[in-house]
Amino acid sequence: MSRIVKLLAVALGVPGLVIFWAWSAYTLSDWAAELCTHFHLGVTLGQALVSIVFIQLFFVMIVATLLTMAERKWSAAMRDRIGPNRAGRLFGMSFGGIPHILADALKMIFKEDIVPNRSMRLLYHLAPVLNFVPIFCLFAIVPMGPPVLFDHLIDGRVVHLTSTLQISNPDIGLLYVFGIASMAVYGVSLAGWSSGNKLALLGGVRASAQMIAYEVALGLGLVGMMMSSSTLRLDAMIKSQSQGLFGWSWLPAWGIFIQPLGFLIFFAAAFAETKRAPFDLPEGESEIIGYFIEYSGMKFGMFMIAEFIEVVTLAGIVAAIFFGGWHLNPWLDLHLRTDIIEPLVRWRFHDNGLVTGSIALTMAVIQTAIFAAKVFVLCWFQLLIRWTFPRFRYDQVQNLGWRILLPLGVGNVFVTGVCLLVDPSMALLGVVGLAEIGLGLGMVIFTGSGSVSKSAAHLPTPATAGGH
Amino acid sequence: MADAPKGPKGPKPSDGYLAPGLRPETLGEKAYFPELIRGLLISGGHLLRNLLFKRDTSPDVLHRRGPNLVTTIQYPEEPVPQPPGYRGMHRLVPREDGSPRCVACYLCATVCPAQCIYIEAGEVEGDPIEKAPVRFEIDELRCIVCGFCVEACPKDAIRMDTGTHCASTYDRPSIIYGIDRLLKGPAVSHQSDVWFKREGSDPPPEGNPHPIPPLPGK
Repeated sequence: MSRIVKLLAVALGVPGLVIFWAWSAYTLSDWAAELCTHFHLGVTLGQALVSIVFIQLFFVMIVATLLTMAERKWSAAMRDRIGPNRAGRLFGMSFGGIPHILADALKMIFKEDIVPNRSMRLLYHLAPVLNFVPIFCLFAIVPMGPPVLFDHLIDGRVVHLTSTLQISNPDIGLLYVFGIASMAVYGVSLAGWSSGNKLALLGGVRASAQMIAYEVALGLGLVGMMMSSSTLRLDAMIKSQSQGLFGWSWLPAWGIFIQPLGFLIFFAAAFAETKRAPFDLPEGESEIIGYFIEYSGMKFGMFMIAEFIEVVTLAGIVAAIFFGGWHLNPWLDLHLRTDIIEPLVRWRFHDNGLVTGSIALTMAVIQTAIFAAKVFVLCWFQLLIRWTFPRFRYDQVQNLGWRILLPLGVGNVFVTGVCLLVDPSMALLGVVGLAEIGLGLGMVIFTGSGSVSKSAAHLPTPATAGGH
Repeated sequence: MADAPKGPKGPKPSDGYLAPGLRPETLGEKAYFPELIRGLLISGGHLLRNLLFKRDTSPDVLHRRGPNLVTTIQYPEEPVPQPPGYRGMHRLVPREDGSPRCVACYLCATVCPAQCIYIEAGEVEGDPIEKAPVRFEIDELRCIVCGFCVEACPKDAIRMDTGTHCASTYDRPSIIYGIDRLLKGPAVSHQSDVWFKREGSDPPPEGNPHPIPPLPGK
């Protein structure tokens, strides 16, 4: 019984918090825009500041911090363990281990900050920052919610101000991601080099070689989506995914359906960029301790939290490009607005002048929550991958990058180009994409490893079986 | 290359090493992707089952049932019952009047292989013959719970029948147990005890002048 109460509390509390967060972000963003218009400062300045606080500090940082605990709890659940539940127990409840986050942070802050004698001081102190800052900047172009028009009466005129939950919306869009993401490897290789430690140096070298191998595939995986939506801006990409595939209203034209191969390539390459298992060779805690072997205290903590911020950022970018951003399918989008939100708002405001704006705002808040839900699910999926697959050997990593992902990416760009030339309406692309998904599913279903149990039966018993 | 000698028939080096008894990979396993998905399904299934369902807290791990697969025993909250033959930590056996039965003969301290028993003997007031321990200390960090002291004791003054184990502490001094912490449990008296037989000695008093703390859990 208490189990059901706890699950219900989570199932209602998390969406409630996200909706409250989105509502206050939109409201404050609009307020900042109005203030900036009053003082002739430009609308985007105030909105960007509010977005920085609400998206970077409140959303990305809090989700990344919670992910440190989610990783420990979920990995425990995957291996049939319980996970941390001892810190901050109150009334016999462990609160999902969340008080451990506070304990971890306290421990890291108060640990002695050891600087090795042979290190290069300046670069050693600079490296965690060089690693953290580019990764922290990546989320700036991810749009968390749709733009909403607010009407304001300024100097006797009605002014329409657009509020959106996006810090910056440059035309180069995705190129910003590629450019800034590859900057982060400077921090890693400098950390390895300046520590004055051979193992750290090995980790740094591995990180840079891995980055070079996967940066190409990272770009090539997204070229297909850039071509099919003919834009680099993430909000325009999300808009292009709001329609139905083949004109069907139940099947959205999400990137995953028209570019499944592109998704696989991009996801694998981006996963390698986050330096998490199975691509955690720069860290490789069982062979070399990794590029941060000489770091202690909060400097190490910055490397660690940067890793989780990368997870959130990758989830945000993938949700925007391949999973339709804040859109469900067209049918659900339409009925969410007309059948649920409109009657609700009309009932709340009794059909007065506030209705139209309120409907748009409520819809935007709900859609922001949908986007956040997709981000959460993708974070969960990344943790699932990280705790399922064993680490590659280094030659396997380079093989996968250069000899599998790169040719696949080039082939995908070629096929996408041909499809779009033949049929610019993306229908042919959809057919090819669904065929690729069908092929993958068919491989999973029909290449069953049913013979494993049979062949395991006549394995010779190891000599050490049955004790020492 | 035409002159190169032909090797014996068998696995070529390009086949890779195959441990004896292992079959070669099937096509589905070589394709790699289906096996990845299958692995994700397995660990995802474990994750969902363990997160959504209630844990069976039965101390018998092998007979835990239900969709939750966790086998952890949360020790202080969910203690495992001790096996029936378990005897536990030692105690100093009190007499009926609450004083220890120990006569400070040093046999236990002598036989102790871990040398964890320290005894200081003293005289009993008003008794010209009897000895009694002034200090009787056992370093529980060193004690290996072998039971030799119980075997060696001629007075049945030290027993292992508490059924508990040594509690952990935060510092070393507090794990050296003195008479005050060792002397507990039900009193024991034998008709053969010398203080009953000695001429002119008083019979054991009625009642208990010093209350004896009961055994935990009994």
